[in-house]
Amino acid sequence: MHKRLFILFVLFALAAPTFAQKYFTRDGKVRFASKASMEKIEAVNKSATAVLDATTGKMEWKVLIKGFLFEKALMQEHFNENYLESSKYPNATFKGEITNMSEVNLSKDGTYTARVKGKLTMHGVERDVETTGTIKVAGGAITVHADFVIKCSDYNVKIEAAKVTNISNEINVSVDATLNQMK
Amino acid sequence: MKRIIYILLAIACAGSAIGYYLWNKPQKDMQAAKADMAMDAAALFNEFNTDETAANAKYLDKTVAVSGKVKEATKTEDGTVKVSLETGSEFGVFCELDPLSQHARTEFPVGETVTFKGICTGLNFDVQLTRCVEVK
Repeated sequence: MHKRLFILFVLFALAAPTFAQKYFTRDGKVRFASKASMEKIEAVNKSATAVLDATTGKMEWKVLIKGFLFEKALMQEHFNENYLESSKYPNATFKGEITNMSEVNLSKDGTYTARVKGKLTMHGVERDVETTGTIKVAGGAITVHADFVIKCSDYNVKIEAAKVTNISNEINVSVDATLNQMK
Repeated sequence: MKRIIYILLAIACAGSAIGYYLWNKPQKDMQAAKADMAMDAAALFNEFNTDETAANAKYLDKTVAVSGKVKEATKTEDGTVKVSLETGSEFGVFCELDPLSQHARTEFPVGETVTFKGICTGLNFDVQLTRCVEVK
C-alpha cells in the first residue's frame, strides 16, 4: 500500500509542471555619475525594466537612454547627441544571469549576495560584464541593488581631450529595483 | 590701439556670458512647452509595436500630448508619479510626471480620460514619456 502511494506521489511530482516564476519591474532606477577633476555629472532614469526568472536566475534589463534626466539641459543634449547618439541607439540592455544560484534562493525570504554575469549592450557595442549585487527577498517581492563601473572607451564613447577634466572615462553606475511576480 | 583692445575685451566678455548662459541653461519649462503632436494612447502604442524604428524616428525627443483612460497611477517611494494609459493590451503608455514642474494634482482616478504632455523616450515594453505635465 505504502509503496503504491509512494510511486503515485513520485509520478505526480514528476508530472507536475515546473513553471518558471518570473518577476518584473518597470520602475527600475539607474543612476550614473562621472567624477572628473573639474566637474561632477549625474543623471537618473527611473523607468528601467527588468525580467528575472526566479528558478534559473536569468535576467534581462532594458533602459531608454533618452529617459536619463540631467540637471543641466545642455549636458543632457550633449550626452544624447554627441556621446551616446541615442537617436541611433535608443536603449541599453543587459542580458545575463546569477552565477551563484546555489547560494541564492529566490523563493525564500532573505538577503543574498549574488554574482551576476552577462552581456551589456550600449551605443552599439556588446561586452561581457560581471558584477556583484545584493538581492533581498521579502513578502513576495525581490529587491536588487548593484554598483559597478563602466568605461566610456569600452563602448566607443569618445571623450575629447578638451573635456577630460569635465567628463571621466569611468562612470559609476548604480541600479535599484523591486521586482514583483508577473501574473 | 586701445580701442581694439576694448573691442576684443567686449567680445570676450560677451562670449563668456553666452557660454555661461548656455552651460547653465535650465531644462525646458514643460508647462509652457507646445506639444509637437497629439496622439491617442492606443494609437501611439500600436505605432510603436508595429514598426519601432519608424515610430522612434517620428516620436523620439518630441513633446507629445497623449490622451487616454487612466489604467493605473502609481507613486514610488521617492515621490515619482507614473500614470499608465489604457491601450487595450497588457502593456501601455506610461507617463512619468515631471519632477521639475509644479502639478495641479498628482492623483488620477482609474478610468478617467486624461491628457498628458511629455517627451517621448521610446519603447521599453511600454511606450515611455518623461517630464509629463497634465493638459486640461
